[in-house]
Amino acid sequence: MSVPAPAPITPGAVLRDAPRGSAVGLALREASLGDRIALAAFGVISLLAAIGPSIAPDDPGTPVAPAFQAPSWSHPMGTDDVGRDMFSRVLAGIPSTWLSALAVIALATLIGAVIGTLAATAGGWIEAVLMRITDAFLAFPAPLVAIAVIAALGPSLLHTLIAVSILWWPYYARIVRAEVRALLVRPNVDAARMSGISRRRLILRHVVPGAVPITVVAASLDIGGLITVLAALSFLGLGAPAPSPELGAMTARGASSLLTAWWVPVMPGLAVFALALVGNWAGDAVHDMLDRR
Amino acid sequence: MIAFAARRVGQMVLVLLALTLVVFLLQRISPVDPVRAAVGPTASNQVVEAARKRLGYTDPVYVQYVRYVGHAIGGNLDISLRTGQPVASDIRRFGMASLELVLATLVLGIPMALALGTLSAARTRGSGVLRVLLTALSAAPSFLLAALGIILFYRVLHWLPATGQTDYVDVPTGPTGLLTVDGLISGQPAVTLDALKHLVLPALCLAALPAVAVGRVLRGGILANLRADHVRTARANGLLERDIVLRHTLRNSAGSALAMGGLMFGVLFANLAVVETIFAWPGIGQYVAQSIPRGDFPAIAGVTLLLGAVYLLVNTVVDLLQAAADPRLRA
Repeated sequence: MSVPAPAPITPGAVLRDAPRGSAVGLALREASLGDRIALAAFGVISLLAAIGPSIAPDDPGTPVAPAFQAPSWSHPMGTDDVGRDMFSRVLAGIPSTWLSALAVIALATLIGAVIGTLAATAGGWIEAVLMRITDAFLAFPAPLVAIAVIAALGPSLLHTLIAVSILWWPYYARIVRAEVRALLVRPNVDAARMSGISRRRLILRHVVPGAVPITVVAASLDIGGLITVLAALSFLGLGAPAPSPELGAMTARGASSLLTAWWVPVMPGLAVFALALVGNWAGDAVHDMLDRR
Repeated sequence: MIAFAARRVGQMVLVLLALTLVVFLLQRISPVDPVRAAVGPTASNQVVEAARKRLGYTDPVYVQYVRYVGHAIGGNLDISLRTGQPVASDIRRFGMASLELVLATLVLGIPMALALGTLSAARTRGSGVLRVLLTALSAAPSFLLAALGIILFYRVLHWLPATGQTDYVDVPTGPTGLLTVDGLISGQPAVTLDALKHLVLPALCLAALPAVAVGRVLRGGILANLRADHVRTARANGLLERDIVLRHTLRNSAGSALAMGGLMFGVLFANLAVVETIFAWPGIGQYVAQSIPRGDFPAIAGVTLLLGAVYLLVNTVVDLLQAAADPRLRA
């Protein structure tokens, strides 16, 4: 086997900052059809979460028909125990589940990225302390402890987001730390360091961007599972309080009428399933596109 | 190996202490006043303050924490606001039903994980369908599986009962507390059979998510191993594809699957509350679920400590098993 000739080195090229944006564009152009459909579905759900409540045919909070009407053309998902339109209620419930999942992922990756980068670049006792704390959090049964945290703070959507986020970041801190440590000894980082730029700029411009792809992959694979966890917490009454339409809480409320009006508990459950499925698909697509190892 | 085991057990104790610290601090920020709970809602303020001093709630925080840990180790877990009973005796009352359910979940879940993992990795007919099933099941919330399961197996097919632990009014309560075993011991096999029927649906709903997660890890491990040199050698030697998968890839993937199985106990315990609620299962999951709307934090804290300890113990045992099987992990 012949060794390919090394690419000619353009003077100064090594020291320039990496071109921005092109990685995403390149990945999108190379994505398979299935991956593109998955990402499109992700976009559609996000759009639905943004405008869903305003396109709902009925007010999700007021009775519009007799109670327990089976699904029909005028009420595609039937009506609930007081005659509210289930379709409108499910549409109104999508934002809190979907946006909560995205918010938790964003917050958890942010905390994880800061702590992971700090640990990897500081080293010494700072790294030791940060990683011991991370390990302790990582060893907790997160969904179980989340129940206790929310119950202590008092059930509300904000408390759920806070509780789940502070239990979700350790995973990302580990990933980011490992990646940043690996990147710190790369030749391009050595070159940047020797060019005399500040340590701050070195880390923020030459090391951290390199850790973005693997973090995005991990985060996108996390969304589906997180949605089912958040829905389970909502089922237990640990989400927004009663009158607001939450998918998990709607199933819990409708469970007593399962055998007489199956659509009341099943429809919100199916909505959670659809959200988590799209989350998983999009996660797999992002994984295919960005993870070349 | 002994040094590794000692270090790993020491680690477990430290994390357990961290967990008690978290629960202790949550107890302090929760709106529940344990002293008020102990003396009753009608007691005068003087009685409450006297009890506060007597019960040690005026001591420094670290003294209270040490006492809290001491009580927890001794099985003393405050008093539930909802039932008015000590949380520890509530847990003893509801714990065995949950243990029976979790054991049934393992009995159904482990073969499920093995089947999903190996069959979806093997290039046999239908493995594509299995892969779709793996993706779909991993997105299904347990309350949806429970609702659909009850509709299908109870209402449509009439194969299984919908809710509860038994249809019999007068069932044996001893000596083990596990209804299936007690039925046999007391010579009532009909009770055992009925209890088993009641176990199937909730156990399946609990087993689905962990089995899929473990199955996916197993599948990944098997596929990675199928590309390894030792498998090419086995193929060249003319071994059956079935033997290659079962002997040369499944064993090598067992460690990571076991680790995933240990982690899945966290999801399992949280879903226990959901599934026991839907199936009206008289266990500690339903106990927690009923405590949430009443703001009964001592009850939630007690169950969190118990299940958290079980979770840590399971994962420590998993780590030790892995290290026993693979010396490279004893670092």
